[in-house]
Amino acid sequence: MNSRLFIFLGLMVGLILIAAPVEAVDTIAPLPSRFSDTDIDEVPDFQKHVVPLLSRLGCNGRACHGSLQGRGDFRLSLFGYDFAADFKELNNPDSPRIDKADSEASLVLTMPTDADVHGGGKRFDPAGWEYRVLHNWIQGGATFDVDNVAKLKRLEISPTEIQFSATGEAEQLTVIAVWQDGLREDVTPLVRFTTNDKVIAAVDENGLITAGIGTGDTHVVIAYDKAVVPIPVIRPVSKLAGRRFPKVETPTRVDELVVEKLRKLGIVPSALSTDAEFFRRLSLDLTGTLPTAKAVEEFLADTSSNKRSKKIDELLETPAYAAWWATKLCDFTGNNDQQLVNTSPVRNAPGEIWYRWIEQRLAQNMPYDELAAGIILATSKKPNQSYIDYCRDMTELHGVDRDQKISQMETMPYYWARREFRNPPERAISFAYAFMGIRIQCAQCHKHPFDVWSKQDFAEFSNFFSGVVFGNTPVGKDRAVYQSMLKDLGISQLRGGDLRRELTNKIRAGETVPFPMLYTRGPRKVDENGRSGGSVLTEASILGGDVVRFEQGQDVREPLMQWLRSKENPYFAKAFVNRVWANYFNVGIVDPPDDLSLANPPSNAALLEYLTQGFLDHDFDIKWLQREIINSRTYQLSWQTNETNQGDHSNFSHQVPRRLPAEVTVDAIAMATASDEEAQRLHAEMKGRAISIASSSERFLQGNNASTFGLMVFGRSTRETSCECDRSGDPTLLQTVYLQNDQDVHRLLDRRNTGWLYQVAQENKWALTGVGRVSNSSNSTSRKPPANYAQLMQSLEKRIAYHRKQGDATALVKSLQDRRRMYVQRFGPPNSTKKENVVAEGRVDDNSKDDKVARQVSGAEEIVKQAYLRTLSRYPTEQELVKCIKYINESEDTINGIRGVLWALVNTKEFVVNH
Amino acid sequence: MTIHRTCDGVRRRDFLQIGTAAIAGVNLAGYLSMAQADELAASQGKNAIFVNLPGGPSHMDTFDLKPDAPTEFRGTFNPIKTNVAGIEISEHLPKLAQCADKYVVLRGVSHTLAAHRLGSEYVNTGNRPLASLEYPGYGAVVTKELKQPSKTDDVPPFVAIPRSAQRAGFLGVQYAPLNTGATPRPGQPFSVRGVTLGNGLTINEVTKRQNLLSDLDTVFKKAEQNNQLLKGMNEFDKQARAMITSKAAREAFDINREPESYAKKFGTTPFGMSCLLATRLVGAGVKFVTVSYGGWDTHRDNFTTLKNRQLPAFDEGLAALFTGLAEKGLLESTVVYVTGEFGRTPKINTRTAEGGRDHYPRCMFMLLAGGGVQGGQVIGKSDANATAPADAGISPDDVAATFYQAMGIDHTKEYASGTGRPITIVRNGTPIKQAFV
Repeated sequence: MNSRLFIFLGLMVGLILIAAPVEAVDTIAPLPSRFSDTDIDEVPDFQKHVVPLLSRLGCNGRACHGSLQGRGDFRLSLFGYDFAADFKELNNPDSPRIDKADSEASLVLTMPTDADVHGGGKRFDPAGWEYRVLHNWIQGGATFDVDNVAKLKRLEISPTEIQFSATGEAEQLTVIAVWQDGLREDVTPLVRFTTNDKVIAAVDENGLITAGIGTGDTHVVIAYDKAVVPIPVIRPVSKLAGRRFPKVETPTRVDELVVEKLRKLGIVPSALSTDAEFFRRLSLDLTGTLPTAKAVEEFLADTSSNKRSKKIDELLETPAYAAWWATKLCDFTGNNDQQLVNTSPVRNAPGEIWYRWIEQRLAQNMPYDELAAGIILATSKKPNQSYIDYCRDMTELHGVDRDQKISQMETMPYYWARREFRNPPERAISFAYAFMGIRIQCAQCHKHPFDVWSKQDFAEFSNFFSGVVFGNTPVGKDRAVYQSMLKDLGISQLRGGDLRRELTNKIRAGETVPFPMLYTRGPRKVDENGRSGGSVLTEASILGGDVVRFEQGQDVREPLMQWLRSKENPYFAKAFVNRVWANYFNVGIVDPPDDLSLANPPSNAALLEYLTQGFLDHDFDIKWLQREIINSRTYQLSWQTNETNQGDHSNFSHQVPRRLPAEVTVDAIAMATASDEEAQRLHAEMKGRAISIASSSERFLQGNNASTFGLMVFGRSTRETSCECDRSGDPTLLQTVYLQNDQDVHRLLDRRNTGWLYQVAQENKWALTGVGRVSNSSNSTSRKPPANYAQLMQSLEKRIAYHRKQGDATALVKSLQDRRRMYVQRFGPPNSTKKENVVAEGRVDDNSKDDKVARQVSGAEEIVKQAYLRTLSRYPTEQELVKCIKYINESEDTINGIRGVLWALVNTKEFVVNH
Repeated sequence: MTIHRTCDGVRRRDFLQIGTAAIAGVNLAGYLSMAQADELAASQGKNAIFVNLPGGPSHMDTFDLKPDAPTEFRGTFNPIKTNVAGIEISEHLPKLAQCADKYVVLRGVSHTLAAHRLGSEYVNTGNRPLASLEYPGYGAVVTKELKQPSKTDDVPPFVAIPRSAQRAGFLGVQYAPLNTGATPRPGQPFSVRGVTLGNGLTINEVTKRQNLLSDLDTVFKKAEQNNQLLKGMNEFDKQARAMITSKAAREAFDINREPESYAKKFGTTPFGMSCLLATRLVGAGVKFVTVSYGGWDTHRDNFTTLKNRQLPAFDEGLAALFTGLAEKGLLESTVVYVTGEFGRTPKINTRTAEGGRDHYPRCMFMLLAGGGVQGGQVIGKSDANATAPADAGISPDDVAATFYQAMGIDHTKEYASGTGRPITIVRNGTPIKQAFV
């Protein structure tokens, strides 16, 4: 199979390769010159000339006859390439567009030459070459051999790269089609030209490229037949391009490759970021976590020269690293709780297993291809496992020690269980998005406008996904086991929702219940409606590539996985590398990161190639990839720009300020307002962290559950539609309103026991005033501790220590720790309760209100410093310090002044924008 | 700033637009017939109130009674005359009967999605749900289309009481509603998330803090000119400050400011209070308000539930909404759209002694009023036992197209989805002409 695949890959590469040395074969002149003579009797070809001409004339555009309904009873395939359908439509007996007997009377000739009757206006002149091409084809019998579609070998385009230096400069492209049979034809007038940025380079229908007013780089995309080829156009931003480029440091290969491109453009990279900027950025990007005040101070005080790479290594080992990247991988793979309803007798368990399974493997740094294979090749039963044993396993899994059980699961089957992704076309789209970083959905209905895939290719690819079935009841002889299990449980008469409810009750009661499961079968042909049925297939093709044959009974996902992880695969490794890059630079090397199509080329192909190759050479080592990217100077550059790079958004010459992702924002607010101890805890364990929430969906985010409100407002991915755009990083009015005045934020600022304001009040024996209604809220209630509280805590500590030492089940220790935390949240740390009571009752008043102007709050400077460290991860400037101290001194009560400062810092753009 | 590529091969830069319609859409108005374009131009709707009835109210016991149907279908309710000759509705809707001239009853509305979630998505977007795409709700589209650019408003454009099934979908969170989270209660202060000052905050205190914030938030000052994100955040900051500290915003939510003579007719139920708040918000400039009133899933004891629990509050509140809007002169400019996700089975089930009705999308009712919709008529018809439309039937898509026409929004306009797919606002609907004459 592999060799065939390589042919397919070779073909694709061939299509991209431009301007092979000119062969000594005659090139046929372009149509306009051949058809300039009114007496020409050449009969053009339907595929090579007629359809591309209709395309050039705009006939098959989306707004015209290419629309799904067609226009004026005439419908063409969008963007052409469905030759058979177009041919049939032209000959449609109900509304024929061509008249072989009287070719001049053909509607394809009379309509577009008459502005009065044609809704699309006049498209060409009766005296023009376009008319003669269409006319001669009709007169020549209007033929097309459906079974003999010609194969395009490649397009030769010259020039292969364009460099402009001034607005108005122009360059003509020439496009030569080379067909499989060796025939060469100049097709420049038949090609569709589009520019990816017309401010830099405009292109007209004849292939004339003109430099616009913008500088920088872009691509002009050429489409003809199946081929799509981008041609780079560059216009230096400054006079510093090429030899005049200043010397800049390039300590890593990544830096060399980035700077190589910047040199061509004359873009000078920014300076290195400060240590404080670097640490905050790194911590948020790599671990989705705001650093604690203490960690910032330590990092800034560290004088070792390799402290940045040391910090990278350290953060890669934190639980937050695995949690944050599991969230990202759950985005890509679509862990959506609504899609998983009724896929398990235990609600929410599938989403949680999905998340946790990935998180554990990221923590172990499992190679990416293995991790993906665990999802793609997932089965419910282990090899040779009986159905009943599988059900026992699953029942146990939902008991205690779930984490350990999940770590033993070799594969994670719920990816295939999603309800709206059970029909093969939806699966194909989701799979291409998750593991290949491409959007093939366009090809479901028409030729993909930005890539080589046709409708036919899409349908063939869908066939791969018809062999996986996820069902509530097992098939074959397991079915009898299933029935007898229900019988034993005494619920065999129940159906539907009643049965599900009862199964949930049974598993809660500790009984073994039957579980839904995934199984595979021979793939079946997928019909036009996306349903699979009919005969079992023995072959399928991968997106227009060569045919993959499989044996009877083989799991068809295996050859697919083999194809994905092969070193030559053009998508799998690259898509992941690009997504990881995008996490650190706001944009991918290909952007959007889920659109690796031919018409959307990388901004720096060499860089993407280098990282992809390295990732493969290191056997899909994810941490290697992370290190390679974030140890580069490029990642560590400042966000502050210079004259040459302020307009750069795609060449990585500086860091781009970007809003924190939703989960990271919500966590950061909690972290910044937390006491030192609580902040430490939020770093050490992921419980209660937004980055460790397993599932998502529109419904989850919109739900009544108050804790998801912030996530909704800041645009957590809904994981609904196989698109990066399910997540939003845009600012909105609601976000600002949320930060300034939402009950969540007020509550966090004012929370007792675990809040920083509370801590400051305690340490200084100040009254924690202005709390208002917050004391009603359950999670911040400060209740009177039981009389034996200190004793109780002591014995709890002892038990934790004891069980730890014994090496007892982690779940037990954890549950004890959870209890300890609950107590602390409710009553505060045992030794501080006394103090707290004094404060709460007596309101220690260190600042009388009558001398508020002259008042100097002692220790204010240190408090402001701490406020800055915990929010903006830096020390305040002298000016900032003065302003904040003044604000505190002028406040009627000290704590409220500090609250105002903390509130303001959380509301700065600097807080919510990573930079 | 992101670049979207649409399937027509055109790249568009969607510059971030502050609180207003982005330019992602492709206007296909050129393809509308002249007559249609005129109709759009003539539309009067400027605001809308969408009353959602989750659970799915029984059509046969409210607006589509069949007194002559066999017992197992008919039910126990009788029709009564309304103030429009020839139109009869349920005896348990006496107040709505007295203002039937204000609204249109659509009968024989029909679709095929009998699950709550899917049905709800359908009637809240006007498009049959797709797995690969999340359609925006009416409120999100209206917000995008009608919000005036660069106007710093005190009131949010889209408010949901208490929350809404209408989502922003692929249009993105900036078009999501502000949820009140609760319904107002008579005589009590009403707190709205994000607008009401919490935790003992005063305007004075907030203003002080905001001044400090302005003093401290200077790091990006130089970069703001070149950065859409930072520029956008500054704009939103201005708007948020206005909203949080403005009297107008707080007063818009304060139903206690309505004169007793006006408020009285809404009664004291949560639904009535929600309707009162909706009329007040529309008067204050809110573009789109959803009111949600559930409890219609009457699988059991259909008749007692409707008669005692659901219908009295519904009748009082909704009738007051229509007459209240008319009284304030707002009905001309406010389109009102009332619907559940489906009707209920014409045949009464025997699960309980009294019987209930189950999910039934094939035949249902909807109401439309205001914004040029000519009240006092029934459009569409169901068959003898209300089991199906008697004629071609009306689809939720048609009602959606009609709604958008009343709002002056071209329902054939296209947006680019996140993946660049061109998506028309309403895929399959045709406006119901009769609604406007």
